[in-house]
Amino acid sequence: MKINKYNIVFIRHKGFVILVLLLLITALSAWTTIRDAIETGPYQLVYPANFGNRINVPDDNPTTKQGVYLGRLLFYEKKLSANNTLSCASCHQQDKAFTDGKALSEGVDQVLTARNSMSLANLLWTRKFFWDGRAGSLEDQAITPMINPHEMGQSLDVSVKKLSNTATYPALFKLVYGNETITGDRICKAISQFERTLISCNSRYDQYLKNAYLPTRQELNGMNLFMNGPNPEKGIRGANCAHCHGGPKTYNELFHNNGLDSIPKDVGIESLTGLAADRGRFKVPTLRNIALTSPYMHDGRFKTLEEVVDHYSDHLKESEALSTFLRGESNDIGGKTLHLRPDEKKDIIAFLNMLTDSTFINDPRFSDPNKTIALKKSKSNSK
Amino acid sequence: MKKYTFIIIALFAFFINAYLTKAQPTTKDASVKVTGEVTLPLDLKLADLQQFKQTEVTRKDRDGKDHTYSGVILSEILQKAGVTLGKDLRGENLTKFVQVTASDGYQVVFALAELDKDFTDRMIILADKVDGKPLLPADGPFRIIVQDEKKPARCIKQVSGIKVQFAK
Ligand code: HEC
Ligand code: HEC
Repeated sequence: MKINKYNIVFIRHKGFVILVLLLLITALSAWTTIRDAIETGPYQLVYPANFGNRINVPDDNPTTKQGVYLGRLLFYEKKLSANNTLSCASCHQQDKAFTDGKALSEGVDQVLTARNSMSLANLLWTRKFFWDGRAGSLEDQAITPMINPHEMGQSLDVSVKKLSNTATYPALFKLVYGNETITGDRICKAISQFERTLISCNSRYDQYLKNAYLPTRQELNGMNLFMNGPNPEKGIRGANCAHCHGGPKTYNELFHNNGLDSIPKDVGIESLTGLAADRGRFKVPTLRNIALTSPYMHDGRFKTLEEVVDHYSDHLKESEALSTFLRGESNDIGGKTLHLRPDEKKDIIAFLNMLTDSTFINDPRFSDPNKTIALKKSKSNSK
Repeated sequence: MKKYTFIIIALFAFFINAYLTKAQPTTKDASVKVTGEVTLPLDLKLADLQQFKQTEVTRKDRDGKDHTYSGVILSEILQKAGVTLGKDLRGENLTKFVQVTASDGYQVVFALAELDKDFTDRMIILADKVDGKPLLPADGPFRIIVQDEKKPARCIKQVSGIKVQFAK
């Protein structure tokens, strides 16, 4: 091999040249991914007609594609926590329908939260947030976990400073809000925009409602028990679940005492209203993806759906605030509890499993964006 | 020394925590808030209801038996709050509706005209008694009773709010 002048120059400076080339490539690919990925304009919220249009989007925070993009990054952003270890997604994980599999969750200070992490799905229709409904909008809700010392434990001011010192966020805030100013309000708004896109509407139950899925006998029987109240005089067996959990979304924004305790440790909305009738009343949560969101109830006391159904069937605790929908409902004439048969309990659980939406938990639009960008890169590299 | 600071901090955290999570609520009396398209918002307690003329309505409950409910005609309460009824219930005011909310979050609506004496003789009352006795805690202390309506679904129990709104 003949060695010429240029080759020598190249060999001598090889390290440097490669470094420059590498830098160029990364800069270019970073530039193109940002450019490619961020679409702008109004975000189309797509959902089935039977979900209804009573949606909750504040006038001052319309959903845009760029806002959702930013909101997703922030939802997965650990810089929003005191020691850079927690993001919203730590307690709201997509594969668990945005719960974390724990009875109570650990915050940055290793102290447990007071209540069970809630699944995030179809929040577009929700008007009262948290187990006690104390937040009136997603925008208001988002502040709480960020500044709560037992959750992410960092003031909005510090979060604003941390994000302002990054290479990417100021430009993104400009794209969404018109200038680079980062504020706590803007952080909450973007996160809320992303949360509104978390629409779950492709479970087997949704498909059944569209005549696109034929339930098994067991699922159908469970569905009937779930939907009907018991009427032993007429020979109708039922579990009356739909009275509180019914409708295509399996969510009605009601607050009830479902008989977990006679003297509740956590009094629920009574602590907000001071009314004895509200003692132990909590939000009737959505049952969407319920098979994925164990443990159950506001304190995560039940590990399995079997325990939940046993509770409603045989172990309701009497108290003055116990919901009337759960009083005197029995499959036995003159009975006090539902008293379901073992096969009926299994049927109800088969129906609850129909509410699992695997499209939702695998939807790439909702996943950790840091991972998808990495994935995209490795994909395009392998081409 | 370190040990003591730790104990003090732990105790402090414990009390703050207990205070935040278990602030023992002082039991209050239920009331009905009248809001929205009103000139005078109201917050009615049981005693306030006695200031109005009392009316009785008899209807069947879920037990299939007739019961006599007593309370105040809803439109009289709305009139007190300055809602456009009677001669003012015309034009765009006919697009108003009344949204009633219960303490468990359940909601129903009535068109404003459904409540007006000039439109209908059917009585809709805010009841506080059944057969002469206070409503049961699970039904009351306030419940809407709709005369002659076949289904009891709008006889909403544990009423906590009445809001008058324009249909958009
Ligand atoms: C340390 C765990 C943890 C973190 C981190 C966390 N959450 Fe939560 N989340 C919870 C718990 C626990 C609840 C229920 C709290 C309650 O009811 O008091 C909840 C409730 C919610 C709800 C209410 C859902 C409903 O149906 O009412 C929303 C929305 C939510 N979180 C969004 C977020 C967002 C956005 C972030 C990030 C800014 C976040 N969470 C961070 C644990 C967490
Ligand atoms: C009176 C209204 C009511 C009825 C009827 C009712 N539930 Fe519930 N359900 C609730 C409430 C309220 C909660 C939350 C209670 C809490 O955590 O304190 C709940 C919680 C649940 C949960 C746990 C949800 C979660 O995310 O942790 C499941 C599962 C459930 N119910 C299933 C059922 C089934 C099955 C039936 C019928 C057998 C039924 N429910 C009947 C009100 C009701």
